[in-house]
Amino acid sequence: MSKSTTTVDHSSQDVLEPEARPVPEGRVARLQHGETWRSIFRHPHLDTPRGRALQSFSNVFLHIYPVKVPSRVLKLRYSWRLGYIASVLFAVLLVTGIYLMFFYTPSVTAAYGDMQQLRTGVGFGQLIRNVHRWSAHLMVLVVVLHLVRVFYAGAYKRPRQFNWVLGVSLLLITLGFSFTGYLLPWDQLSYWAVTVGTNLISYVPVLGKQLSDLLIGGEQIGQATLLRFYSLHVAVLPVALGLLLMVHIWRVRKDGFAVKRGEVGSFAEGSTDRLVVTSSGAEPATEDGQRVRLLGVVDRESVTAEERLTDDTVFTWPHMLVRHVVVGLGTVATVLALGVLFAAPLRGIANPNETPEPAKAPWYFVGLQELLSRFDPLVAGIFVPTALVLVLVFLPYIDRNSATEARNRKVAITIFSIVLAAVIVLTVIGALFRGPGWQFITPWDHNYLEL
Amino acid sequence: MKFDRRRLLEKGWKIGGGLLAAAAGWTSWDLLQPLKPAGATGKLKLGSPSKFEPGTATFVNAGRLWVSNADGHLFAISQKCPHLGCRVPFCESSGRFECPCHGSVFDIGGEWISGPSPRGLDQHPLTLEDGELVADLGVHIKGPDHGAAEYLSPPLGPSCSEGG
Ligand code: HEM
Ligand code: FES
Repeated sequence: MSKSTTTVDHSSQDVLEPEARPVPEGRVARLQHGETWRSIFRHPHLDTPRGRALQSFSNVFLHIYPVKVPSRVLKLRYSWRLGYIASVLFAVLLVTGIYLMFFYTPSVTAAYGDMQQLRTGVGFGQLIRNVHRWSAHLMVLVVVLHLVRVFYAGAYKRPRQFNWVLGVSLLLITLGFSFTGYLLPWDQLSYWAVTVGTNLISYVPVLGKQLSDLLIGGEQIGQATLLRFYSLHVAVLPVALGLLLMVHIWRVRKDGFAVKRGEVGSFAEGSTDRLVVTSSGAEPATEDGQRVRLLGVVDRESVTAEERLTDDTVFTWPHMLVRHVVVGLGTVATVLALGVLFAAPLRGIANPNETPEPAKAPWYFVGLQELLSRFDPLVAGIFVPTALVLVLVFLPYIDRNSATEARNRKVAITIFSIVLAAVIVLTVIGALFRGPGWQFITPWDHNYLEL
Repeated sequence: MKFDRRRLLEKGWKIGGGLLAAAAGWTSWDLLQPLKPAGATGKLKLGSPSKFEPGTATFVNAGRLWVSNADGHLFAISQKCPHLGCRVPFCESSGRFECPCHGSVFDIGGEWISGPSPRGLDQHPLTLEDGELVADLGVHIKGPDHGAAEYLSPPLGPSCSEGG
């Protein structure tokens, strides 16, 4: 397509690509050119620059992607696809979670039985539960890794400060998901992990008691707590995460991907959406180094004023999409394999009169539990986590250094790495090296890690 | 101050929206308050004091409490650890309360010995009515502060949590 499109054949259905319009041949092709098909899929697949652009922006779901992305975004090194993997896991959790809702009653008398029933009486019930559980664990891990990656890349700096804040909210919601979900099987594991977790809140100065009552709906974990956690888990949090995730991903696009771009050197601000105003009638070029109009179907004269640089960019469809499909399938395959190989735990039914030995919080909170066994709960349970979250949230506004190369941000990287190492060490000690009565044990003698 | 339709609308929607948000907040807060606890709150009869031998702690499920006898002093001790609310069992071999969650240890009178608990185990008042022990479940007495060690004696034997 090197000629301009001044002579549009308006009688043709493929007004957009008159020259490239394939001649219908065979049944499928005829079907695809029929009235009905075209009422659903408005444009034919055309392997031309404009056809590829149309694939993206005539599709409501692909709208979340820009039509073109800087080619470096395709490199695995850019993001390790961690944010994307987290989104895929969230989708898996939604699907498996809806299955589980068909079999689960949020009642202290029924919940535990439902879990057993799922194992023995529902076809593939156990598999669905396993996949849901392992995806949830994996999602926490992947989201944390994503945060770490974004930090080390310096991708939270201007103009992405707010997207980092959104990201921290997403992390908190992810933890909220895990924590509320943990109670639902109503077994000994869930009951005591949540007891320990919710009692923490009562240490909050002044409002503590009220907040903890509000969360657990009474003095003690019971029916009210189960119903509250269930509502949060299946309604409030999914809506919150879904909305924030939309904004988060939208912002990734609007802020321009945090990759180094050739001519700009550092991260180009809003590079994918920067409109370049040219005087008039810019020369149409070829795919390498060409301009593509992305404003939809308008006639030539009206678009000349707004065109976009296409320097180092490639079409999202198919280059980005095919990578996402592969990584997405890989993620699903991984959690399926985990679900087939490992069963989600189910201990005895929750018993308020017997604390199991040891009573551990879920693994991502055992670091906190370890801290709690050493320091005053007000310090270890409230001040330290609150400070950590606040610093994380406001990090882009605290760290005003605009450099993104490691050698120019030694202080930030050092502090972050130390905190990260401390979190990992505490978590490993709490998870593997603690036994009954929180005594120090060695994991090769006995493993008390419970997932 | 000039007062015209534009100003009225401009202020009006903000005030209206603010009121709506406040109302929604208040409603949610109120709606989500816990209902009155259905649990036991009244007085619980525990029978004759002679049932509880010195050096023992007996669990009474109806009140979720331990009745312990420290050298003739009787206590109605809450089973809930003041640290983070795990249930604290009595370890026969050491003669102490040992919390399985983070390892707080209390003597037979509920006083703090070691571990992260901010105080001793909470208690309910015990009275003698017509020769029968009665615990008042409606009243919670905060456990003794660190340092109170009236009933502390050396452990009778090995702790229950050592060595798993
Ligand atoms: C539910 C959890 C989350 C999901 C599903 C998610 C999803 C994504 C996706 C799909 C991207 C595009 C690039 C990539 O794949 O890495 C992204 C980028 C980004 N995320 Fe997240 N994210 C989550 C949590 C977080 C957290 C916890 C943070 C940090 C506090 C964060 C900060 C960012 C930032 C700043 C970017 C832009 C980086 C860039 O443009 O390269 N996100 N996220
Ligand atoms: S709950 Fe008893 S020591 Fe933490």
